Amino acid sequence: MRIGIPRALLYYNYYPLWHSFFEELGHQVVTSSVTSKAVLDSGVMSCVDDACLPIKLFHGHVVNLIGKVDAIFIPRLVSICPEEYICPKFIGLPEMIKSSIKGLPDLIVLNYNAHRNLKDVHRAYVELGTRIGAKPSQAVKALQKATASQQAYDLLLKEGQTPLDMLNGRKRIGEGEGKGIIGLIGHPYLLYDEFISMGLISKLRARGYAVLVPENIAQPQIEMACAELPKKLFWSYGKKLLGSGLTMLKGRKVDGIIFLSSFGCGIDAFIVELLQRYNHRLYQIPSALITVDEHSGQAGFNTRLEAFIDMIEWRDGREGYISAHGASVFGH
Amino acid sequence: MKVTFPHMGQVYLAIKGLLDDLGVEVVIPPSITERTLEIGTKLSPEMACLPLKINIGNYIESIEKGADTIIIAGSCGPCRFGYYGVVQKEILKDLGYDVDMIIFDPPDADYRVFIERIRKLAGKNSWVNIAQAFKRASTIVKEADEMLDIALKKRAREVNKGDTDSRLYRFEREVVGKHGSHEILETIRKYKGILSQVEEKPGVSPLKIGLVGEIYTLIEPYVNLNIEKKLGYLGVEVYRSITLHEWVKVHLSLDVKYRMSYKRILKKAAPYLNLCVGGHAWQTIANSIYYSECGLDGIIQIMPFGCMPEIVAESILPRVYQDYGTPIMTLVVDEMTGEAGYFTRLEAFVDLLEQRRRSKADEYKESLLRG
Repeated sequence: MRIGIPRALLYYNYYPLWHSFFEELGHQVVTSSVTSKAVLDSGVMSCVDDACLPIKLFHGHVVNLIGKVDAIFIPRLVSICPEEYICPKFIGLPEMIKSSIKGLPDLIVLNYNAHRNLKDVHRAYVELGTRIGAKPSQAVKALQKATASQQAYDLLLKEGQTPLDMLNGRKRIGEGEGKGIIGLIGHPYLLYDEFISMGLISKLRARGYAVLVPENIAQPQIEMACAELPKKLFWSYGKKLLGSGLTMLKGRKVDGIIFLSSFGCGIDAFIVELLQRYNHRLYQIPSALITVDEHSGQAGFNTRLEAFIDMIEWRDGREGYISAHGASVFGH
Repeated sequence: MKVTFPHMGQVYLAIKGLLDDLGVEVVIPPSITERTLEIGTKLSPEMACLPLKINIGNYIESIEKGADTIIIAGSCGPCRFGYYGVVQKEILKDLGYDVDMIIFDPPDADYRVFIERIRKLAGKNSWVNIAQAFKRASTIVKEADEMLDIALKKRAREVNKGDTDSRLYRFEREVVGKHGSHEILETIRKYKGILSQVEEKPGVSPLKIGLVGEIYTLIEPYVNLNIEKKLGYLGVEVYRSITLHEWVKVHLSLDVKYRMSYKRILKKAAPYLNLCVGGHAWQTIANSIYYSECGLDGIIQIMPFGCMPEIVAESILPRVYQDYGTPIMTLVVDEMTGEAGYFTRLEAFVDLLEQRRRSKADEYKESLLRG
């Protein structure tokens, strides 16, 4: 069977696991094409207007797979960690797809819910395996192999690789090092989709900066940073962004920090707000919030990026220079 | 300690009664106006949902009136409401307001914290007192909702347009001067009587529309631009799927019978959505099916812009329509919503329903003739 995996949402987190799981069970895996204007447009056309960009994009990637595969894999991740959730829209994703897109092939839904117990996850994959015709024992074996390749992937991320580099098959760090490090805070499905993030990572590298992404921050550090919050944060990915953002700020690991958010993202609205407030109050590291949606244009994006980098560099050079005249520091 | 809280429809009656009984000084936030919304919009994150913005406006207007403590409910996700308290606290802190915020998370998360916080709020009251005060507050919620239900029936049938609402208005003027749950309850009961005396047109069978959607938008009339009133004036009888009283019964009381019927309704949604995605999305689907089965003429879903759970429901509702045939309209409100456009949409929807009803009646007549 040819199983299609949409290249959107949690694909960037879990593709090694999903790929090898299906391949171990003897299926062919087809990934939808890289995001393009056409993919995005077909998503926007088929999805409800009020949804956020990543959800629309997921619709687009599902449409892209129709006709190429026998079944489409749709993960329903309710929770990846006990007592925590992911976005409500992820929970209702299979239903949204079923209601919005016509002419779908068979849908293979992974019901992944670790809200009560992490062990439930194991059962979810066994169920998924039996759903596509494998014996439970085969599914368990495939899951073990898949987990191993996922762990290898996670390890490389923690060593400083970005998922984007891994996807493109170039393991390199230190590209453009020298001038400094920019911290990027954003969901993986925005940061590593080169169409949506408009090549943010490569643009920063071209300007001589290395990037630090949330995937590079170790989980214990994230937990530690979030432990200081007055109330436990119940979104796993929100926690990851907030925790890694705080870790970057606190250790002064970065020269600047960019928040990449999509229009209408409910979780980012809160996470970015908190991060900006903490940063302003305690750390005062240059920061920028860039919000993307289906109408974003390259020109405005580039201008903001250039202005941000200029600001960092000016600050480097002349922050201590305060004019005795009270005139502008920058000599204009 | 001067305690305030965010507005949400009739909830102020219950909280005022509760806090009065406990001997806690309470500042009722001024009713929501354009100013409230403006304050909230200016100070809140742009992408936050509307209720958060209005809450902020409520707090600041109450602080201007002297409040120094804010109480708010909490939850544990995945809807954003669960983290309101924290974000709002940070916003107020950066603005330099020195207020205390008591967040009541559901007791099943950590009941010791819950009890501690009640103790903090209630001061020296005995637990018996506290329990009784809570019980009376839930009676207020129940009776206030019954009063509104009378108004919903009357508005669609009143002889003199505006009769019902002028009485409700008099109620609101009168009740703010009352102290303690007994006086508030008395006023509510009095006005229940007054409202039932509104003169009705004989022999009308109004269109019936059910409201589903996000709880705050449904309950707070300022946010839904008085949808119940507007529909009432168009001669529509409105059914509300989510009321405060229902919320209290499901979440705080031990009414087993009610919970079972509640679960039975939720089960109706199984072919479309069979798990909680946060907020009231599951209920939205289930109630839409329930209303279709009850033979209502139409259903309106209301939600604030960017409401994560309701977006899931919105994308599923067209399938419910295909299967059951009851028209469903979705209305999204935010700080930019204009009243005129909103009203036009309501009018158009009601027109559509009237036409459907007429053509159905015609079909029936035709079938009689042919028969």
